[in-house]
Amino acid sequence: MLKNIFTKAFVFAIILFVVSCDKDDSPDPENEEEAITKAVLVVTNTSDNSSETYNFEVEGHHHDHDDDHTDDGDDDDVDDHEGEHMEVELESNSTYLFEITFFNESDPSNSIDVTKEIIEEADEHVFFYELTDSSITIESAAGDTIDSSGDPIHLKTEWTTTSAAIVDIVAYLIHEPITKTGVSTRTDLGGSTDAEIEFEAHVE
Amino acid sequence: MVNISLLATGFIFSQDCDLKLEGKIIDLYSDSPLEAAVIEVVGTNTNTISTADGLFTLTEQCPKKIKLKISHLNCKDLFKEIDLRQSESLSFYMDHHVESLDEVVVAEEKTNNLSTTAKIYSLSESEKDRNSHDGLTGVLEQLSGVHALSTGNSIAKPVIHGMFGSRIGIIYNGIMLENQQWGQDHAPNVDVNAFDNVRVIKGASALKYTGSNPGGIVILQSSFPKKIDSLYGKTILSGMSNGKGASLVSSWTRSFQNGTYFTAQGTIKKSGDLSAPNYVLSNTGYNQKNVSLAFGKNDTESDWKIYFSYFNNETGILKSSHIGNVGDLLRAIESDTIVINPFSYQINNPKQLNTHYTTSIDYSKYLNDKEKLSLKYSWQKNNRKEYDLRRGAFKNTASLHLNLDTHHFNSNYEWTSSFAEVNSGLFFEIQNNFSTPGTGTKRLIPDYLKTRFGSYITAIIHKNKNFDFGLGLRHEYLSNDVHKYYHNIRWESENYGPRLGPYVINEVLSQKLVKRKIVFNTFSFNAGVVFKASKDNTLGVQFNYVQRAPDIAEMFSDGLHHSLASIEYGNPFLKKETTQKLLLDFEKKYGFFTYIISPYITLGKNFIIIEQSGFEQSIRGAFPVWEYVPINAIFKGVDLDLSYKINRKLRLRNNTSWVEAVNSDTKEPLVNIPALTIKNQVEFSIPNWERFHASVISKNVFHQHLFPNNNNITSTLENGKKVDKVVDISTPPDGYMDLGLDLNWGPYQLFSSNINISLSFDNILNTRYRNYLNRLRFYSDDIGRNVMLQLKIKH
Repeated sequence: MLKNIFTKAFVFAIILFVVSCDKDDSPDPENEEEAITKAVLVVTNTSDNSSETYNFEVEGHHHDHDDDHTDDGDDDDVDDHEGEHMEVELESNSTYLFEITFFNESDPSNSIDVTKEIIEEADEHVFFYELTDSSITIESAAGDTIDSSGDPIHLKTEWTTTSAAIVDIVAYLIHEPITKTGVSTRTDLGGSTDAEIEFEAHVE
Repeated sequence: MVNISLLATGFIFSQDCDLKLEGKIIDLYSDSPLEAAVIEVVGTNTNTISTADGLFTLTEQCPKKIKLKISHLNCKDLFKEIDLRQSESLSFYMDHHVESLDEVVVAEEKTNNLSTTAKIYSLSESEKDRNSHDGLTGVLEQLSGVHALSTGNSIAKPVIHGMFGSRIGIIYNGIMLENQQWGQDHAPNVDVNAFDNVRVIKGASALKYTGSNPGGIVILQSSFPKKIDSLYGKTILSGMSNGKGASLVSSWTRSFQNGTYFTAQGTIKKSGDLSAPNYVLSNTGYNQKNVSLAFGKNDTESDWKIYFSYFNNETGILKSSHIGNVGDLLRAIESDTIVINPFSYQINNPKQLNTHYTTSIDYSKYLNDKEKLSLKYSWQKNNRKEYDLRRGAFKNTASLHLNLDTHHFNSNYEWTSSFAEVNSGLFFEIQNNFSTPGTGTKRLIPDYLKTRFGSYITAIIHKNKNFDFGLGLRHEYLSNDVHKYYHNIRWESENYGPRLGPYVINEVLSQKLVKRKIVFNTFSFNAGVVFKASKDNTLGVQFNYVQRAPDIAEMFSDGLHHSLASIEYGNPFLKKETTQKLLLDFEKKYGFFTYIISPYITLGKNFIIIEQSGFEQSIRGAFPVWEYVPINAIFKGVDLDLSYKINRKLRLRNNTSWVEAVNSDTKEPLVNIPALTIKNQVEFSIPNWERFHASVISKNVFHQHLFPNNNNITSTLENGKKVDKVVDISTPPDGYMDLGLDLNWGPYQLFSSNINISLSFDNILNTRYRNYLNRLRFYSDDIGRNVMLQLKIKH
């Protein structure tokens, strides 16, 4: 009786083992399908239609436990974007059209324009420029996407400069903001940041 | 049945079966009679139950050798052979360890042989039912030394003596729960209401079941149905004010005289958004549906059981906690809470969806009155889906979708005599983890096939009435076959080439597929002594030596944690972890004043923790990177359970837990260690109100002042200036007091049912607080006042 049970159990275990171990098929790779890896800002001077393109692209690792890193900064000091800040040259008392687009280039051979998705989901997105100086005014420009509540999402904006200044700008693509009206700082918007770029506007 | 006796004695009618056996069941330790012991005549359908005086009578017995099996809820089964030649009256002594629940600090049961001398903490039925709506962790948290590590208010996992996750084992009906327990935001996928007994061992002292859980073991067990023709059950209906939720728990058992039984149990729970004192916690509702079925037969000498269970839950994750980068985290910390929507039952993304199926078959047989053989096969199927707030085509696609299948087979041989109990066995397990492709995000956990087998032996030696010794040894062989994609950026920054290069089997896009087989052999050992210094006082000493293989998450996790804006990486070169724990129990069991004082110390070598190691840049900003590293750790703590019964109407109870854990090399405290917690309870009843009792419970959680610094600095715009600000994710919140009140009425008789009604208040003062062990503490206050009305019907 006892021997019988053990024999059955053993056979059972062997079958299980054989069945389960027959697994050699490799899993398919997963790509980061909704990552944003690049933001492109096109700045057009409305007086002469001359335009300048700025690419924001950051991808990199920064480790403090490895041996041979050449980072110059203090490890505790985190700069949001390593390296030089992008400088956008603007003239005083002028108007510019700022147009921002986003791309997913996780697969370098296949650049996906994410802007279309953002426009399709206009209700859930907003782009927001936060400035250290109030000498520049920013308004939604013609051709900007308007969501179903009638709020512009600021992918296309018109900038009016006044006096000369150097202005620090942080711009955010925000997913599911809590509001789009009466916004003066990033905090008012809530939501989660899908992309964040920094640049300096040099108004001369 | 006519039995012709061959042993003709002086009795004239001896060949007729008209003998009477009278007996008395007595507690070996207290000499008091034992009620409700079941006395069975082995090999027949004859059985009876002892009365309040411990008495029983078996009539119509034939004059021959008969074997009795005497079982009692709180005792080990007793087998006795009797050569019956005339009507007799005998006494039977049972090894019974428990006085009535009123007298002891912590209920203790020996329902099922856990084969350990370690202190077993058990929850009474009323303690379990009180929190039946709250999930396993909420129930366990009532014990000293047990805390909850939570993600919001409906996802919680138990922390025992400062350890959690893979260091805690949960055993249900003899099966080790396998449900991606490594994740901090993964609550155990098991319904506590499906079990009658909830017990905790604070250490790796149940080597019969597991040898790799240095923190402790939670044992959930259903009790054996009685061998009588009966239909009985229990239904608990609860309504909660906070979240406007309700739960219905019902279990039914149909048992037969011949030992066959059928048990069905179900739980349904639903809650809308919970509320903090000042606002609604948006998207914190949950739905849960559980069913379990058991069919079996308890014969006198053997039993078998087929068990099936289904667990399903859908849990919303606090909307405010969905952030995109460190700047968002900073803004969340600086604000009270970000998203407040009107109350709703709707569960939106982010959310978790878990399903867990269990099927098991058990068979055990007494080979003779000393030996018992048990066999068990179980199959667990776990499915976990986590949904985030996503964009575009992936909006409604789970970003994590794991399928875990675990087949486990084990055999146990038990040998019992009056001076020793020995258990030994073999087990074999295969686990397959499959990450459903097409999530559009890299796999947090790779696909793997885990094979484990091993053996164990445990022994308890009863030296005499005052000394019990326990010993245990367990060996496991574990092999992980892992298929893992590494991104080239990570591969290069970590310089994996020289060590993992030979294992690359495929290269696609910017990723490398590595196939590795990683093998661990682990040995765990424990030794314990229980010394009864006097009738009241007991001293227990337990030593556990535990080797634990790193789990898959510690070696291979790879992904982004949205709620902490951090990236987590496993360490593929981790070695096995070794912990040694010494635990003492000073216990006074009887009298008006009773206590258990349990100090302990745990030393961890190669102890695996997760630590911040750097930053990774993306267009969203810099993300802190957390990686698993081995350290040396030391845990020190003490648990205290006190009970003082002033008179029949009034009792005071206290339970206190304190633990401290540091990296013993750097002296830096470990993260997420529970702060000093003191619970005081006053239980009282009112003269002339026969069917009423009440208790006031105050839980004081102190400020944790020992914590590592994991703060980051991020730059942000403030008042027109660019400033660097500290993102303080390290400083624990202030301490708090949670005051509760329970009012209970009953039992009342209604037809053949007993009804109890209770009205309970949690956080009655509606205190605003945040809990250090709640991972979403940065995003909102903890939940406010809750009033619960509970109706309990015993059919």
